[in-house]
Amino acid sequence: MLLHLLNRSPASSLVHRDTLRAMGEEDRLLLIEDGVYGALMPLADRFEAIHGRLFALREDLASRGLDGRCDARVTVVDMEGFVTLTEESERTVSWF
Amino acid sequence: MRYALLVQGAPYSHQAAHSALRFADALIARGHRLETVFFYHDGVYNASRLASPPQDEPHLVDAWRRLNEQQGTALLVCVAAALRRGLLDEREAKRHGKQGYSLEAPFELTGVGQLVDAGITHDRLITFSP
Repeated sequence: MLLHLLNRSPASSLVHRDTLRAMGEEDRLLLIEDGVYGALMPLADRFEAIHGRLFALREDLASRGLDGRCDARVTVVDMEGFVTLTEESERTVSWF
Repeated sequence: MRYALLVQGAPYSHQAAHSALRFADALIARGHRLETVFFYHDGVYNASRLASPPQDEPHLVDAWRRLNEQQGTALLVCVAAALRRGLLDEREAKRHGKQGYSLEAPFELTGVGQLVDAGITHDRLITFSP
């Protein structure tokens, strides 16, 4: 199982399409930096295919004033949770 | 676990260095070891010894240095990416006939082979890009 990191907003970049295409059935996706915009509606719909395997970084949501505005399908994790996700995944792939 | 980070974003231009430093603190707090940080592409600017940010802003170069002091983290800088951007240690500056130098220990100029090595020898390699 791989952890994918995405730091681009789906509103300004199409790299999330490549990310989703590359993801295996068990793989997880963590939205960081500007990627966290993808955790809000309507952009969160783009990640419907990986329901239950989508995470967003709390610190990056908070620094953009988006804390508490995430779609319910997204699991919000803090920095410690980010580390935990890397522990649980064999490898990490960054998309940018 | 033994962690390595790859930093490819320039300081104060992109969030990559900030994200990597916060991740570094978090992994150490969880009891892991940060053994290596590799700076590549514009990430090599993180190693500039002359960086002088305003006093009320985070000093990213010092933050990397602190990791080296606390954890013995190796701070490796890709030599090919560094030289063409004007980041030279004393030895390289002399070799290229330049006055002054812009990179010093604990940062080390190394080949990209060291990055491949980090990917093989560490348990985890996490990339922070611009």
